[in-house]
Amino acid sequence: MLRDSALLSMKAACLRRFGKFSRLIKGLTLASAVFSSQLITASHSFAVPFDIPSVDGSIVDVSGNEIQSQPQSPVRASTALKRTSAQSPKDDTQSKPLVRFHAWGGSAQVNGYLQWVAAQVSQRFNIELQHVKLADTSDAVSRVLAEKAAGNHDNGSVDLIWINGENFAAMKKHGLLAKDWVKELDHFALTRPEKNAAMVTDFGEPTLGMEAPWGKASMVFYYRSAHMKALDITPGQTINELLRFSQKVPGRFTYPVPSDYLGISFIKYAAIALNGDKQSLFYQPVTESSLQAVLPALWAYLDQLHPTMWQQGEYMLRQASQLQRLVGTGELTLAFSFTAAEIPSAVNRFDLPDDVRTYAMQDGSLANVHFVGLTYNSKNKTAAKTVVNFLLSPEAQAEKQKLAVWGDDTVLDVTLLTKAQAMLFKEASVHRSALDKSQPMVLLAEPHASWTDKLREAWFERYGARY
Amino acid sequence: MFTHITLVARWCLLLLLCIPVLAGLVGVIFPALGYFPAIGANAFSTQVFATLFGLPDIWQMMWLSLFTGVGSTLLAVIAAFCILATFYQSSLLGKIQGVLSPFLVFPHAAAAISLLFVVSPSGIFAAITTRLNAYFSHAFTSPFVNEISEMALPAANDGTLLYDGLGLSILIALSLKELPFILLMTLSVMSQPLVKKKLTGYVKVGTALGYSPTASFFKLVLPTTFSQIKLPLLAVLVFATSNVEIPLILGPNNPSTLAVAIMHWFNHIDLSMRLLASSAAVVQVAVSAVAVLLFLGTERLVTYIGKRSLSGGNRYFADGALRASGFVIMAFYIILICAVVYTVVVYSFAKQWHFPLLLPEGLTLLHWNTAISALTTPFINTLLLGVLVSTTSLILVLFTLESEQLQPARAVASNAFSVSLFLPLLVPGVAFLYGLVWFQQLIFQNAVWFHTYVAHMVYVVPYVFLSMAVAYRKFDNRYAMVAQSLGKTPWQVFYHVKLPSLFSAIMVAWALGLAISFSQYLPTLLASGGTIPTVTTEAVASVSGSSTRLTAVYVIIQAVMPLIGFMIAWYMPVIATRKRSRQMLVSGTHSNRSANPVQ
Repeated sequence: MLRDSALLSMKAACLRRFGKFSRLIKGLTLASAVFSSQLITASHSFAVPFDIPSVDGSIVDVSGNEIQSQPQSPVRASTALKRTSAQSPKDDTQSKPLVRFHAWGGSAQVNGYLQWVAAQVSQRFNIELQHVKLADTSDAVSRVLAEKAAGNHDNGSVDLIWINGENFAAMKKHGLLAKDWVKELDHFALTRPEKNAAMVTDFGEPTLGMEAPWGKASMVFYYRSAHMKALDITPGQTINELLRFSQKVPGRFTYPVPSDYLGISFIKYAAIALNGDKQSLFYQPVTESSLQAVLPALWAYLDQLHPTMWQQGEYMLRQASQLQRLVGTGELTLAFSFTAAEIPSAVNRFDLPDDVRTYAMQDGSLANVHFVGLTYNSKNKTAAKTVVNFLLSPEAQAEKQKLAVWGDDTVLDVTLLTKAQAMLFKEASVHRSALDKSQPMVLLAEPHASWTDKLREAWFERYGARY
Repeated sequence: MFTHITLVARWCLLLLLCIPVLAGLVGVIFPALGYFPAIGANAFSTQVFATLFGLPDIWQMMWLSLFTGVGSTLLAVIAAFCILATFYQSSLLGKIQGVLSPFLVFPHAAAAISLLFVVSPSGIFAAITTRLNAYFSHAFTSPFVNEISEMALPAANDGTLLYDGLGLSILIALSLKELPFILLMTLSVMSQPLVKKKLTGYVKVGTALGYSPTASFFKLVLPTTFSQIKLPLLAVLVFATSNVEIPLILGPNNPSTLAVAIMHWFNHIDLSMRLLASSAAVVQVAVSAVAVLLFLGTERLVTYIGKRSLSGGNRYFADGALRASGFVIMAFYIILICAVVYTVVVYSFAKQWHFPLLLPEGLTLLHWNTAISALTTPFINTLLLGVLVSTTSLILVLFTLESEQLQPARAVASNAFSVSLFLPLLVPGVAFLYGLVWFQQLIFQNAVWFHTYVAHMVYVVPYVFLSMAVAYRKFDNRYAMVAQSLGKTPWQVFYHVKLPSLFSAIMVAWALGLAISFSQYLPTLLASGGTIPTVTTEAVASVSGSSTRLTAVYVIIQAVMPLIGFMIAWYMPVIATRKRSRQMLVSGTHSNRSANPVQ
């Protein structure tokens, strides 16, 4: 008893001490909190966020340099379609297979669309689709590479990956993708790959059935009409008019560094448009002489353009998405994008002001296709293929093309669809900020893949290593 | 038995801190020397370093890292001391702590973005200036100021400090972020009971001898406390030289700082760039080391020069100038914080918001809805990971501290221990994290949660330890002795005497661990391979998107989450204490049972 009471009073004394400690502790807390937040976020937080992956990839046909989008003959319904629903590996007795889709996660629309896809495949095929949101697609590429290096050949953490262009070239080179699986998909025939080389060519690189086309896009320009009025000027309709615009109102236009895919796309557009007489060179593998033939016109142009750009061209953006942010805040007046649909939807979400208008350059718009790849060490290849086949279904493609959803153009050849399926692709109303699709558009095919690196290297050599 | 467990915990802690960092460094050094089998590089050579130093901009990059790191730390230290000298004896000190402390839990990325929002040519300061100009130039001709605003465009190509080639924008932003940390760190040292007692005595004597408050701070307080804040200052310095997000968002990119370049090279599509990145990471460690040496050299120099001034007998120490700058810096902070909070909050609800207008055209919940609907799973992951990491690191730390008291280590061992504690803080994260992932791929490639957990622990444990250690070591050991002399085992003393007495310190350390775990970006992404989305990884991914408004929502969520943890930590002990004391008073003798620690 005596012992108990002694302890009791001691405990009371301990409790009283709380008060004294609390002050000291608060100070400490703060101090350590500092540390914490500093160190932690320290080296990295921002690292990746600012890198945009190459979301869209290469394009169209290597043969012609200007391809008019032309209406194709109707008719022909696909027989492949009817088989689709039957082909699902629905098996409730087994556990739900998990498919991890590594895709850039910087766009609310894309993320929302993938949530819809996940709900659909879960309901229809009993597959769990997990969207792994990447800030930079090359993170996933290096992960698969690390797995290969560590000898993990059949239990990879990446199943599907949204890629094109250089990420695809890197994965192909290192053998990180499953081969020749795309033709097994029923819906792949609807893209009419035999007529449409863009569906099996990624930046001039044959896909060899390693990746399935998912969507396509072309380069469009957009501007603040209120600014144009205030500045009393019109946006340029050709590459040379663009320079005159920037000279008249300096600091209102810029392009991202060519390590960004939109940046290199601008360089390609400028190179092709400025070398009208030598365009055929771009559709063959690059050589030293062909490079030297086209560069002088490009350098002469950029030398004049850079001092008139935002921040006098001294600081250039690393990511294309920053362009839209700067147009949104009003610092830029004219910018460009590879996804025409993102502009009206950005206006609807108030990310762009309502006076934004979209147009296509008269001397041509670069166009490309983006793909979904399947890794060589995926555990659930069958389930992953079922997901990709669903992504290519007219229903999923039509949903994706809706402006309110994502607005990404379909890769399907609409003339191969039934009437009911084709109806899915009709837009209900036209947005003021959207591209006027009734106007004919001059499309420029992506140059041969070998041009990308050469042009970029030449640019960095001339204008400095901007990181 | 209990003693053995605590000893094991101490070793676990040591290994947990050292193995990942050292393994990560090895994983970087091998590729730096040309060995990276995954891409077919099998031979060791110094070729990669030759390539690195062959780059035209490499020296400029290293200089930028060094200059911004050392410059910002010195600036922040001087400014923090100015503020302390001005306010440390004033009643405003508590308020200053209140104003600056939220800055601490504000993640760097979020801070950099909000600064960018505020100071850019379309930011709120520019808008106010434009409107004032318009108002003054048209005040006499036209009363309808709003008409002008429609025509006003943000200034193009005006000389804002953003992205300047010298790195001044990085330097200023870094010191803005570091200052509160240094200030609060110093205050926490000064408020330790022993130190406080000593300082109060010194200052009293100083005042009696006619020294001004500023002079007594610099001549009496600072020399006494500086040795205790040196290690944290070095951690800040290393952090500043290797930070990525602030230079990335606010700094020049032609060229950028070394750390930013390393990150870009690691993420480069061309996988052979990894070799270059690895060698640059090794150079980054060297740059940080040079910064530390410079800092220590400066310290020596100041000590040497200062000695004469200490005994010089001068009763004043640039009093007026220091006080003025102390007030100016504080005013600057308050204005900046108001501008940031206003901009971020309004953006997160804004519909259209045209440039010179100070208010948007309307408010909407759209951005919040978009963000919240996407955040359910990440939120649960974040919480789960945070609670798990913070709780286990707290247990480890408590056992380690207990083992220190039960079985004091030899001096050498205890020095080695405190160095290893700071190891994750003194080795730039960009240098070892990539290497760590390589190792994690070699062992247990499927244990994703485990790897993420380890990566978080590396950063959480040191802070939890630092936060706990002071309180623990200051615990009045007489309580423990009384209990022991009454026949209690070490475990009973630990569980029934120490833990209740230290409850509020424990809660604070736990909240701190939580906050640190919440804000991990790269460790989470790399270790989990992106399969464990957290609020921070989602937020950072959203920043690479194009929506200012959505980014603003994420900035707010990121800033609020750790604050909630701290609020819990502050109020739980208060509630618990009240409850218990009420119980004791009310139930009188009955409480004997509940208070009885034995059986």
